[in-house]
Amino acid sequence: MTREDVFLKVMEIIKPFVKDEESFQRANEGTNILQDLKVNSARLVDIILDFEDEFEIEVEDEDADSVNTVGDAVSLIMEKFAA
Amino acid sequence: MKQLPFGVRCSLALQREVGRILGILWIIPIAWFMRFVMRYRIKDVKEVRSRYRKLISETETQGPVLICPNHLTMADSAVIAWALGGSWWYLFRYSRMPWNIPEYNNFSFLWFVGLGAWITKCIPVVRGGKREDVSRVVKKIEYLLRNGETALIFAEAGRSRTGKVQVGSHAQAVGRIMTAVPGCRALCVYVRGDLQETWSTVPARRDSFYVDMQIARPESTFSGMRRSRDVAQQVVARIADMEAEYFASRK
Repeated sequence: MTREDVFLKVMEIIKPFVKDEESFQRANEGTNILQDLKVNSARLVDIILDFEDEFEIEVEDEDADSVNTVGDAVSLIMEKFAA
Repeated sequence: MKQLPFGVRCSLALQREVGRILGILWIIPIAWFMRFVMRYRIKDVKEVRSRYRKLISETETQGPVLICPNHLTMADSAVIAWALGGSWWYLFRYSRMPWNIPEYNNFSFLWFVGLGAWITKCIPVVRGGKREDVSRVVKKIEYLLRNGETALIFAEAGRSRTGKVQVGSHAQAVGRIMTAVPGCRALCVYVRGDLQETWSTVPARRDSFYVDMQIARPESTFSGMRRSRDVAQQVVARIADMEAEYFASRK
């Protein structure tokens, strides 16, 4: 799976939780999930658990601490794939 | 398990000691304010405190206690601490005065309010802030619990907007702390004033509070974040059961 594929899948997973549709339309890897897309912080856990299901990886709480932007999420997933 | 940096441990020790030394200047006045100005009353207060003191005395043998209450008003943590321990008791057992993690933006507007929060064992957190910052706060609480302190975290992710415990809402930090601190017990607390119909900023004057508590030791077959979520959800579910008992007893 390429980074681009993971990015597209991540965006698909995040979409139902997004409150700012406009920001979502022009989102890139630098987009902050909580601040730019206005995702509720409690929902970020659900998003990461959806990543686990979709990509068949396991994420620890400490791994998730590094996820602020869409790019961080993509990097975490790529890293888990590589491990 | 990574140790907290030396500087952070020192700053927590300093915060604790300053708060303890100044204890008589804030613990007693806050309790008296609630009792004589707000005219709050705790139902069966002697029994509530005796139960709490027994539970807390088992900390060394049974594991640290994370107090996990329901959340309806911004004064809940003060009311719960007062209800469970009693002001004079805390002066001599300062480690039993729970640490709190209030929302930073609720008191950051005036420097002396922030100072007051620091003295009163608060570790501010920005909800929806950077994950690393939230994680640093969680790690501080884990460290404090491991070192014989008590902490309070609302089990729901914010004040309940319906006035009832929201089973679908939970603070992930509760599960994360419970799974990271060996032997950690959740003290599920259900507190509600007779006049408290729904959520509010503070409880109404002359309110009389019902307090119930139960120890929970949630188990989970999951791992990773899913385990923390499962544990946090079990704690909220227990509080929801306590709420159901409360309303059933009022019928």
